[in-house]
Amino acid sequence: MRPGSSSISAKLTWMNVVVSATVLVLATLAFFSWDVISFRRDLVHNLESSAQIVGTNSVSALLFDDQQSAATTLQALRNSPDVVSAALVTTDGTTFAEYERGANVAPAPVRALDPGTNDQSWISGRHVLLAHRIIFQGKPVGTVYIAAELTETGSRARQYLEIAIGVLLICMAAGLLIGSAARRLVARPIVALAETARQVSRERDYAVRAASHPDNDEIAVLIDSFNEMLGQIQERDTALNRAREQLEARVQERTAALRAANRELEAFSYTVAHDLRGPLDAVQGMVYILEGIEGENRVAERVEILEQLRQATRTMASLIDDLLNLSRASTAALKRQKVDMTAIVTGIAEGLRRGEPERRVEFMIAQVPEIEADEGLVRVALDNLVRNAWKYSSRHETSCIEFGAINRRGEIIYYVRDDGAGFDPKLNDQLFQPFHRLHSRSEFPGTGIGLATVQRILARHGGQIWAEGAVEKGATFWFTLKSGATAAA
Amino acid sequence: MRERGAQRAFLLLAIFAAVSMMTLLDATAQKPTRDDVQAAYLYNFGKFVRWPGDPSRRPMLVCVAGEDPFAETLRKLVEGEQIDGRPLEVRNLDRPDGVSDCSILFIGAEQRDREDSFLSAAAGKPILTVSDSPDFLDRGGMIQFVLVEDHVRFEVNLDECNRHRVGLSSELLKVAAAVTAKSAGGTR
Repeated sequence: MRPGSSSISAKLTWMNVVVSATVLVLATLAFFSWDVISFRRDLVHNLESSAQIVGTNSVSALLFDDQQSAATTLQALRNSPDVVSAALVTTDGTTFAEYERGANVAPAPVRALDPGTNDQSWISGRHVLLAHRIIFQGKPVGTVYIAAELTETGSRARQYLEIAIGVLLICMAAGLLIGSAARRLVARPIVALAETARQVSRERDYAVRAASHPDNDEIAVLIDSFNEMLGQIQERDTALNRAREQLEARVQERTAALRAANRELEAFSYTVAHDLRGPLDAVQGMVYILEGIEGENRVAERVEILEQLRQATRTMASLIDDLLNLSRASTAALKRQKVDMTAIVTGIAEGLRRGEPERRVEFMIAQVPEIEADEGLVRVALDNLVRNAWKYSSRHETSCIEFGAINRRGEIIYYVRDDGAGFDPKLNDQLFQPFHRLHSRSEFPGTGIGLATVQRILARHGGQIWAEGAVEKGATFWFTLKSGATAAA
Repeated sequence: MRERGAQRAFLLLAIFAAVSMMTLLDATAQKPTRDDVQAAYLYNFGKFVRWPGDPSRRPMLVCVAGEDPFAETLRKLVEGEQIDGRPLEVRNLDRPDGVSDCSILFIGAEQRDREDSFLSAAAGKPILTVSDSPDFLDRGGMIQFVLVEDHVRFEVNLDECNRHRVGLSSELLKVAAAVTAKSAGGTR
């Protein structure tokens, strides 16, 4: 048995032994004291009886002066082992007969009885002297003296000691047996619990459990609490591991996203540079041509080139404006105020119609409730959407552009619809990426930044945008906005 | 010096004589006579004997045959004494015909010649007969005083006692010098 695990059971065993030994010693002392007292009392009582018998049997001997008979009567005391000596004394005080146990035993001391008493005893230490006045026919005949020694007290003490030692040994054996039972009942569960605790702290294995205790005592409560604690620790451990795994996954996800964003940014920069380079090359080429055109007669030629030059710079300016819008959509602080989208769309439509009065386009603008949003950004977004609709329906003789809102399960969804060129639904996911154009520039002019800007603005307002469309069947742009709420970029 | 030694010797002798005298006087004063002892025994017999019938409330009559001075000794001894609540009375019997009321009859050795007549008178009656004459038991007596080593002892004829319905206590028989009992088949 290991010293660590043996301690509780050893303590229990020792406790048993010490308690039983103490109880035994105290009980033995009590019984021995009681025995000595009762033994003395019984001895005196027996001596009194003996004295009375001797006295009664000695009456005739005393009356008829038969010392031999008296001595014979006294000899009967031989059967009382405690009696050391005895004497028969006549009324005038002379010793009539004597008895001594051995040759070297002193004769019984004769002491005068107190007047008026017939029986008296003197006890000093182990010696008892008993006197009995013999009365016959109402008259004193003589006195019996019996001297006794409490020799049996010593032997009785020895017997008691032997019994006590025997019982003590039995008690110790019983204590060991009970100790093993106690070990099974008390110590073993605790030792097992300690072993489990050691295993848990050594191996950090929170899945182990202490064996449950059949009894419904404090040990059972301890074991149950310990197991419960282990369960909680295990749960927390699992949760911690899961959180760490999630965190790692998220970090990987974010890293991938960042990498993608980086790549996108590089592509974006490249595209911006490339798209700016195009008109700039045109400007340089035309300036070169202008230098080569001399003479008054080539004014018309020069004017045309200058017009082309202006066109190229306008394209550049519009590209730069769009980039600025995109940047502003991403970074500008939101200034929320009441915005009437119907009024804005109506304004845009009027502007477009004024710019190209020859086009036959029908605007169907529904009245939508006012919202709380950044008016400038919302205007940019709506401008992009309506202008897109205007632009992509330019190839059709007549067209219809709608603006409105529907209420789907409490959420208001706005839409801008046209019946123009539409798009291939397979390319839907490229629609909102900057510089990704679904149509060639020669087909429809544009920078390819507009829808990206719209998406950014709506995202900043906590909203979304998606599109439905088919080639030559028009397109519908659905979008949502969170009125009043500030959303992250 | 010589005169002094003689004086000392005389003094020692005188002291010795005085001590001896005192011892002798003491002995004569203390030592009871045989009559005294026999009187005391006689009185004590009364305590160990059971008579038939219910003799209580009557005085216990102790009779002494003839003009025996022993009667006077006895009378002095039992003066005012009682046995089992019965007062004792000592009576001198001149003639045997007065024995009927006696509980104890003492026939002294001096009355040897009248012993037979007294025993005949007491025959068949519950009377404890006592004597100090030799061979009294052989002649039909019940208790006879004897001298053993200068001590007064007594012998008992238990058959006579039983025949006359005089019950003797075993305590008494215990201290008897001898007990004759043919029926019991032994002598002690």
